[in-house]
Amino acid sequence: MSADVIQTIIHFIVTFLFSLLFLMGAATILSYLDRKVQAYAQDRYGPLHYGPAGLAQPLLDVGKLLLKEDLRASATDNPLFWLAPMIFFAPVITAFVVLPFSPYLTGAALATGVIFYVALSSIDVIGVFMAGWGANNKYALIGGLRSAAQMISYELPLVLALVGAVMLTSITAPACSGAQPDLNTCGVGSISFSNIVNAQLNPPWLWFVLIQPLGLLIYYICGLAETNRSPFDLPEAESELVAGYLTEFSGLRWALFFLGEYGNMCIVSAVATAVFLGGWSGPGATEGFWVGLLGGFFGQVVFNAIAAFWFIAKMSLFLFAFLMVRVTLPRLRADQLMRFAWLGLIPLTLFNILLTGALLLIPVDTSLKLIIAGVANWLLLFIFIFGFRRLTGVAKKSEQARQGVPAIPGVERLPAKEAKQLTGAGAP
Amino acid sequence: MTLETNQGNLGGAPSLFTEDATGLRSEEMILNMGPQHPSTHGVLRLVLTLDGETVMQCTPIMGYLHRGMEKTFENRPYMAGPRYIDNADYLSPMINEVCYAGAVEQIMGVEPPPRAQYIRVIVQELERIASHLVAVGTYGLDLGAFTPVLWAFRDREVILDLFESLSGHRFTHNYMRVGGVLYDLPKGWIQQCEDWATRFIDKNLPELEGLLTGNEIFVSRTRGVGYIDPQQALAYALTGPMSRASGVAFDVRVDRPYGAYREIAVRPQVQTGGDCFARYRVRMDEMKESVRLIREALDNLPSGPISARSPIALRPPRGETYFAVETGRGEESLYMISDGSEYPYRAKLRAPSFVNLAILPELLRGTKIGDVIAILGSIDIVLGDVDR
Repeated sequence: MSADVIQTIIHFIVTFLFSLLFLMGAATILSYLDRKVQAYAQDRYGPLHYGPAGLAQPLLDVGKLLLKEDLRASATDNPLFWLAPMIFFAPVITAFVVLPFSPYLTGAALATGVIFYVALSSIDVIGVFMAGWGANNKYALIGGLRSAAQMISYELPLVLALVGAVMLTSITAPACSGAQPDLNTCGVGSISFSNIVNAQLNPPWLWFVLIQPLGLLIYYICGLAETNRSPFDLPEAESELVAGYLTEFSGLRWALFFLGEYGNMCIVSAVATAVFLGGWSGPGATEGFWVGLLGGFFGQVVFNAIAAFWFIAKMSLFLFAFLMVRVTLPRLRADQLMRFAWLGLIPLTLFNILLTGALLLIPVDTSLKLIIAGVANWLLLFIFIFGFRRLTGVAKKSEQARQGVPAIPGVERLPAKEAKQLTGAGAP
Repeated sequence: MTLETNQGNLGGAPSLFTEDATGLRSEEMILNMGPQHPSTHGVLRLVLTLDGETVMQCTPIMGYLHRGMEKTFENRPYMAGPRYIDNADYLSPMINEVCYAGAVEQIMGVEPPPRAQYIRVIVQELERIASHLVAVGTYGLDLGAFTPVLWAFRDREVILDLFESLSGHRFTHNYMRVGGVLYDLPKGWIQQCEDWATRFIDKNLPELEGLLTGNEIFVSRTRGVGYIDPQQALAYALTGPMSRASGVAFDVRVDRPYGAYREIAVRPQVQTGGDCFARYRVRMDEMKESVRLIREALDNLPSGPISARSPIALRPPRGETYFAVETGRGEESLYMISDGSEYPYRAKLRAPSFVNLAILPELLRGTKIGDVIAILGSIDIVLGDVDR
């Protein structure tokens, strides 16, 4: 057996174990942090009794879920009901293959990384829809339908937001630098996560969030919707639909959905880190320095550990934002959700792509191009934030009066002004 | 397109089959929301006829919490009444007790001493704040925001603690007596109450308001949703925040003042929006107004006895009476007939939640499922009050 094959096998085992342990560990820790962060925001303690500061709570939860009776209603659609949790969970593990925790801790540096991730994330919706239909429960059905509509709608701006960042890799590609780029060879960026990270390392602080903050924001919003987290948790809106598509699931099946949801959060955060926050770059994550200091093997180990540390630290920022958004925001209504995606996010991302593409044609230096792109993007970001009110469709006062007021038999409606006088509205 | 009616469905609501040109048959879905459901605020059951997510028809079914309260009054002496009426609107027991005690006092012609009347105003306003805090907090919960309810409960806990030190019970207080109140204010209670009021109005309420009023999603979920115009409010006899949010400036404390409200002027909080947001705003404003009333009552608290002399066995003279108070939900009133014995001959409770709930089917027609919860939450029903 050649050394290459052995190295590949070792690489496989290391990355596989790392991904699996990371997923399990992250889900456990996140479920604990979810409660603690929520408790902190809500002036209470959260888990307290098992282990120091309640640290053993998630482990006990896992034990409880494993031991729980596998309940199933008699009229479920069996194949769908059985398969749904697996179909929901399988893409989550698979997507971990392409996440670049560090140069070595990347399961497979696929050349089609972004496409691979996007394709996998769109499989989830099938699992959710199967769960909704298979459970034979009206709440679950509505939840499943909502989530199908939601995930398909938000898939588009999610991809388009990533396209903007991918295009930046072509602008910064060597062939495109200079005032007169050769348009035949230039414009070939990369959709591999490793290459996208590398494109942000030259210079090392050239994170795409500086040039495309809007892309990051839109991507993150869509990520919230893709993972069914607040404020887009309509499919499992407990105040409306009990638990949505999860209503009939319990025990291990429910645990798989639960694990999948936290896994999805991790993936969305990891992709955001890799594409917009410079991936594993950070102080100390310099390969040459460590290899020179400690030699080939140990230098690589230390370098990769530091790189993975930075990657996970940046990821944690996004995960923390996930948790804080959940305690802060109420939930949107289904139609507002759709309007927001189709009338707000998609045109905006398309415009962003147009703008980024037009940069290639401007005959200036690469650095100047990036500055122009950054300024335009930051401007768009602020316009977007202040335009939010319009996009969610706040009804005007005149519309309120017209909307849904059926006539009452025997009571004649007066014009608003007279009604006001009659009832003494506005009296001190 | 052909239409046929299938009557064999749940709740007696007719279901429509529609058939399009290709022969594809679709049917409206009937969804039983409740009696066990996270956000029906108790055991209300709504039979919703749905076309997709749109509500075509809604039939509220009540009575799951019926305890025969009015019949119980007829079989218990007047002395025992406040204990039972505590459970009617279980989020504002103190105000219920004032309603019962006030009705009996009115038949007997007893006037409680001024100190008792001021204490009644203080506890009523505290109870109104506690009730509104639950309303606003759970409304946030209905709309998917988890934090407001817990922030609201910080202050509610303090209010319940104040009640505990006053009456011995956190809830069903049994504090009012015919002719006055049971105990005088304990030592240091006034100071605690003032401390709480300061903290509430300066810090906690603005925090809560910042989380909801300033939230774009909250506003877009509530503004323009569940619109009630003033005519509708009058036609359905809505009271409390429901009518005041539609511009009908009716408040029992102002229009038919009772007890110390004859001396302490109440400013009714009115909004003209008529939608869920206006109802929320009315509740928020009323909490501020209540704090002002509490402070005013504490400042002017007279000294003297806390109860008028009344016989141990109450035997009101023959007659009938109608006594109304303003709870957090509207006008709660007791119609009572006395035949001269120790027991009321008849007692009828006008429950504001029950009356306000009547407009629900009207409001829900044509809305989405998400709005069902938003509108139901804004009505702020208490099922103990609806079913009695």
